Amino acid sequence: MSRIPRDYLINRLVTLVLTVLIAATIIWIIPRLSPVDPAEIALGRMAAGAGSVANSEEILAQLRANMGIDQPLIVQYLKYISGALVFDFGLSTAAFPTPVSTLILNALPWTMGLMILSLLITFFIGNLLGALMVWERSPKLVKVAIPAAMVFTSIPPILSGLLLMWIFAAKLQWFPLTGAYSIFVEPGWTWDFVTSVLHHGFLPALSIVVVTFGFWALGMRGLMITVQGEDYVKLAEAKGLRPRYILYRYMIRNAILPQITAFALKIGLLIAGQVLVERIFAYNGMGKLLYDAILNQDFPVIQGVSYVIILITALSVFLVDLLYPFIDPRIRHEANT
Amino acid sequence: MLDDVTKDKPVLTLEDLSIEFPTPAGVVQAVKALSLDIHKGRRVGFIGESGSGKTTTALAVMQMLAEPGRVSGGTIDLGGTNILELSEEEMRRARLSRVAYIPQGAMNSLNPVMRVEPQMWDGIIAHEGHLDRAELKRRSDAALASVGLPLHTADLYPHELSGGMKQRVCIAMGIILNPELIIADEPTSALDVVTQRQVMQTLKAIQTQIGSGLMLIGHDMGLMAQTVDELAVLKDGELVEHGTVRQILQAPAHPYTKDLISSVPLVGGESFLSPDARADAPKRTSSEPLLRFEDVRKDYGSVTALHPMSFTLQGDTPQIISIVGQSGSGKSTMGSIMLGFNPPSRGRVLFEGQDVAGMNAAQSLDFRKNVQAVFQDPYACFNPFYRVNHALKFPYKQFGLATSEAATQRAMEEACAAVGLDPELVLPRYPHQLSGGQRQRLIVARALMLSPKLLIADEPVSMVDASLRASILSNIYDLKDKYGISILYITHDLATAYHVSDYVMVLFKGHVVEAGPPKEVIGAPQHPYTRLLIDSIPWPELDRSWGDGRTDWDPANLEAEAARAEAIYRGTVPGFDLIEEAPHG
Repeated sequence: MSRIPRDYLINRLVTLVLTVLIAATIIWIIPRLSPVDPAEIALGRMAAGAGSVANSEEILAQLRANMGIDQPLIVQYLKYISGALVFDFGLSTAAFPTPVSTLILNALPWTMGLMILSLLITFFIGNLLGALMVWERSPKLVKVAIPAAMVFTSIPPILSGLLLMWIFAAKLQWFPLTGAYSIFVEPGWTWDFVTSVLHHGFLPALSIVVVTFGFWALGMRGLMITVQGEDYVKLAEAKGLRPRYILYRYMIRNAILPQITAFALKIGLLIAGQVLVERIFAYNGMGKLLYDAILNQDFPVIQGVSYVIILITALSVFLVDLLYPFIDPRIRHEANT
Repeated sequence: MLDDVTKDKPVLTLEDLSIEFPTPAGVVQAVKALSLDIHKGRRVGFIGESGSGKTTTALAVMQMLAEPGRVSGGTIDLGGTNILELSEEEMRRARLSRVAYIPQGAMNSLNPVMRVEPQMWDGIIAHEGHLDRAELKRRSDAALASVGLPLHTADLYPHELSGGMKQRVCIAMGIILNPELIIADEPTSALDVVTQRQVMQTLKAIQTQIGSGLMLIGHDMGLMAQTVDELAVLKDGELVEHGTVRQILQAPAHPYTKDLISSVPLVGGESFLSPDARADAPKRTSSEPLLRFEDVRKDYGSVTALHPMSFTLQGDTPQIISIVGQSGSGKSTMGSIMLGFNPPSRGRVLFEGQDVAGMNAAQSLDFRKNVQAVFQDPYACFNPFYRVNHALKFPYKQFGLATSEAATQRAMEEACAAVGLDPELVLPRYPHQLSGGQRQRLIVARALMLSPKLLIADEPVSMVDASLRASILSNIYDLKDKYGISILYITHDLATAYHVSDYVMVLFKGHVVEAGPPKEVIGAPQHPYTRLLIDSIPWPELDRSWGDGRTDWDPANLEAEAARAEAIYRGTVPGFDLIEEAPHG
């Protein structure tokens, strides 16, 4: 770890904590600017269920006390921040009285699994195709086929999802229509369960890959065009190196660097997820959780999910910062910056 | 005429070689029926301006012509192999093992994410398969040692090397498989004179040792005279003259060759400036000196780029002050401090009595108008999306100088004319449609339009063709007398500094080591470092020694010697006061 001075590490850690703290504060403030009273919404929901509610004032007060929103703002804030540090965001108002952390904990692994897997696949495929679009020695067919495949990039994920569902699930019946795993298997680390999860995850992942690989491919194409003109690529050719070796070690190896930063930023966005993809595949991930919470004005859940997204984005950027000197030796962290 | 050397079979024979580039506007003949032999152990220089076809010829030998270029006629025979008939794979095998290429831009020629050693190994592996590690190590170490690099260089990344070291790594890579022919494409054009001499001597020594032919591409007649055996002069794709370097230097036959030889500015030689530009310039009216450095010092981390320096440039009568030194001497740091781009770590820079660091918005605008810059790279100084007239008009309006469209137009036309450009030709064009020389003149014109009081010119001609340097420098020189602009000329080219300047400061590691009028400092240097700089200039005279066989190339020795010597002040000129640095030690 000699490339990461201690001062730099401390500096970055402080930045990380501050970023998360500020972001947490902002997501706490925003709902409080809204005139909506979550207690009234809860009451409204009760009223809708029961037809009418007697002594509504008392119930409102009770609800507010339960939700903690009868206390002074500063107390609410401090409670929220100290809770956030240990991932305690209180109780969901829509799924009262389930703790928000339980909801997130149930949803997070599904999203992480699906999204990160599809992000890795799309990153790999997109960058490879982007590189092949530029490489002089790519087969002609590849150069024609890739731009044609880019058409998919302009399809909204919800449509590609529906299309894939229709073809592969409804017509061909190769994959299940919805859900994250079969209702006939018991969740656990068993072979049946894992294959069921993979089987169910394939179509949602594919629908994400199909619409997102173009982002990486186009970015990579631009970077490769720049790298292709670099003197070191010319000299590599003059050295009589094998074309494939030049492609991997001289061209892609250099062009990929900015893409890795973009990758870190995308991780955070992906947790928020392809909300609609999760929705149409009835996949119980973070996207669906957030979507439902917004519909139900479930502030604690919105806050909790936003907080987790920010935390993961900040963490992945932090990790890439630390990782960067190892993938690009020109970046060296000065101890005093 | 070359019969004394034609005993061996040539390593390279070009016969009626023609190269063309089909473009939408028609076919461009880049090289026309060129015939030439390069023999074993001989060094042949290809000299000519950019666009004369010298690099194109070299790339054709490598079979690496850029699209859509193609060999349209003739043959290229590499030691008995007609390379035009080789398959792609056969040509790949011939590269490096039979013909090696040493590139021009050594700065960017190494893969930035790989250490030096694997970049040397991959060349061997591509031709000889996977040898064992010890053998690879033995060969890369031998190659590094042969170019005078310490063995730990192998473990460094390219960005950790200086320009001279990178160029030597490229040479080491080139000779690692003992090729029959080495093509060196302006291998030292990005290096300062001292490093240039070291690298060139290294290249000569190693080429003699392995006995290969050398094709040296360049535009510097002095460098050619000191390096090659034969010279091929190219102009517009044609070989206009070919012979031994002695024949050509002593009796050039073609007028273009004569031009090339006479256009080299020499220390003590004839001035290339027109002496008639002595019109009376408008006098400056300010009691404050134009520019003043008060104990200005610049540190980058723990490195001191500029040691405390104090001087006053009165600027009442315009002057040209030259700052000369190698890369890393602190001269460009001085320039950026003067421009206010780079605040000094200590001390103050005063422009007409105002601290550059503490200006308000109005003062800052005034400062920007009055202090203009001309930088090294004419290609990077224009926004490629704007036509030239927009690029010239914009600052003129920005500084509130434009009274009417017609006046702006007139100002642009005058400025273009002043630098010898046809306004009708250049103004409506985009920067990429102009040559490097035209662009550099436009940058001078743009500065001139603002009637600044001070011009900072940082290596303004180091990237343009030799034949254009003199005329661009005379454009800049004219600014002084015709327009009353004082100029700080930052350069590593001592010959031009000798001719244009009123006062010269030689910088070494952020210290002034010698200063005074150019006739003394450059004409008769006294400080060992200044002497080193002068000795490193390749002269276009065959019998003048360029330090062949000298052993004092080791930078450490030179530095120690230069650091021991005290700064030498060689007299003053009115209007410029350099405060002498206290003797150290």
